[in-house]
Amino acid sequence: MIDHPLTATTTRSGSDPVVVAENLRHSYDRRRFALDGVSFTVHRGEVFGLLGRNGAGKSTLIKAMTTLIHPTSGTLRVLGMDPAHDGQKIRRKIGVVQQGESFDFTTVQRNLDVYGMLWGIPKAESRRRRELLLSKFGLTDIRKRRAFDISGGQKRRVQVAREFMHDMEVLFLDEPTVGLDVIMRRTLLDSVREEVRRGLTVVFTTHNLEEADYLCDRAAVIDEGKILVLDSIENLKRLYGGKKTIDLTVANGDATRFFSILSERLGAGTTVTVSGSSAVILTDDPKRALSQIAELSQAHGAQLEWLNVRKNTLEDVFLHSVGHGGESLASA
Amino acid sequence: MQVPNVLRLVYRNILVNTDPGSLIILIGLPGMYLVFFGFGFQSVSSAAGAGNSYLTYLTPGIMSFQVVMAGTVGGSMLWADRRWGMLSQLLMGPFTRLQYLFGIMLTSILFGLAGALVMLGVAYLLLGSVPTGLLTLGVIFGSITVGSIFFGALMLYISALVKSNTAYNSIQILLIFVVNFASTVFYPLSSGLPIVLKVLFQVNPLTYVSDAVRGAYSGTLTPTDGYQMIVLLVEMAVFLFLATRAYMRSDVSYE
Repeated sequence: MIDHPLTATTTRSGSDPVVVAENLRHSYDRRRFALDGVSFTVHRGEVFGLLGRNGAGKSTLIKAMTTLIHPTSGTLRVLGMDPAHDGQKIRRKIGVVQQGESFDFTTVQRNLDVYGMLWGIPKAESRRRRELLLSKFGLTDIRKRRAFDISGGQKRRVQVAREFMHDMEVLFLDEPTVGLDVIMRRTLLDSVREEVRRGLTVVFTTHNLEEADYLCDRAAVIDEGKILVLDSIENLKRLYGGKKTIDLTVANGDATRFFSILSERLGAGTTVTVSGSSAVILTDDPKRALSQIAELSQAHGAQLEWLNVRKNTLEDVFLHSVGHGGESLASA
Repeated sequence: MQVPNVLRLVYRNILVNTDPGSLIILIGLPGMYLVFFGFGFQSVSSAAGAGNSYLTYLTPGIMSFQVVMAGTVGGSMLWADRRWGMLSQLLMGPFTRLQYLFGIMLTSILFGLAGALVMLGVAYLLLGSVPTGLLTLGVIFGSITVGSIFFGALMLYISALVKSNTAYNSIQILLIFVVNFASTVFYPLSSGLPIVLKVLFQVNPLTYVSDAVRGAYSGTLTPTDGYQMIVLLVEMAVFLFLATRAYMRSDVSYE
């Protein structure tokens, strides 16, 4: 446990906007928009999730909020300031764990020391924080090893631990758990939660929906540079009301035709997303859907390999929002 | 009292670049040149026109050579920071792009001056005496400073332009070879040189640094050394501008 309040200057307030984005657009090549009209607000003290598959625009959004790139158009305010004009002032108050590797070409311990020095942390305090973080993130045994010699997961731990060396008001985490094992992943998420309780605001990108469910207060699903849905995690899960999800795999025959007929029969209020011989069916009438599946499988001699009815999860919300990588046969 | 950002960056650059391997290359290599070439080429010292001691002739040359090493330190630091993700990380921290650039330039100068000082120390051990006059040392280290900024800016400019580390390293190796051996670091400009080489010697900024340092070292400064230094100052300003512009326009965002 880190026993220094990293965000002692901040207080938790649900209505104080920390990040305000309005109609943000950004293009790297003037042909395709990596951000295409994105609008959202992040409030002080909340964990805001940006969910999306690879290339959806999450990292571009993080880069814009952390002043690394300037959006092509739209309005962005971070901590009440304009990143285009007050970049340095903003950066003094934020922390960033970027998606890619980032470390100095020296030992693990020195990486933390150098970072503390760069942020102007007094030497004694820097040493104290370094020891706590080395211990917390399981880096004590490798503290004398060079950062480029350690494993990918260990490097990630150094990167995350290092960011907690300094104080901040907002922490941007761009897929911070990639390469971490389950225990370290949980350690990281719990550390973040702990700091959030002390008033830290967190913007967190991930494509791991369990993590988002565990950590985030609100989340936006982003795809092709657009925000598809944005709400609290609970509301997102309730988005489809009494709907249930049926996972179905057909063992033999023409699965595509089978699912196509099934989709037609189930009609409105149901979404059938097909991927090979499997389908995810989102329906508000699971009983009727099950009877149709049974009837149709008998009529077509289709053998059902897997059938499962379950409550919606954040993953279903995500899959429904962005498609499944498969073909959606009907809309709710 | 808060330490200025640029100085923090310089301190960081020194900390992460002073591992034994880097120091051997930065100081050990020129030191070895001084020892091996200094003694090895003693037999041709009369041809070099430096009195009885080639080592005396070579010492200011090797001190000047430090400006090229300093330049490569600057360029390599930028590439290393890009490659290991620290450039974007620092620029998402409390630093501006210009502070980062000046941090690298200042580090290059410090490496150039420290390297030249170490070479002076090595020369003292080998020769038993070196010039110690304030004006002499002022000219020597002033020239080293200007040369370090020039080569730092040149390497940063190249570093900001090329798209791969391999390309940067290849250019750097070629440049070090040509700049060092087509200069007056190791031998004087002789009338017997082919015209192309002669021109290369005369337009090579390292020749200007080497001539000025050698002139001050041996007490034989001429007006030509002064003119060459003015040209070097102009070139330094041009490359500093080009490097700053190229770097400010370059993409620093992480993958």
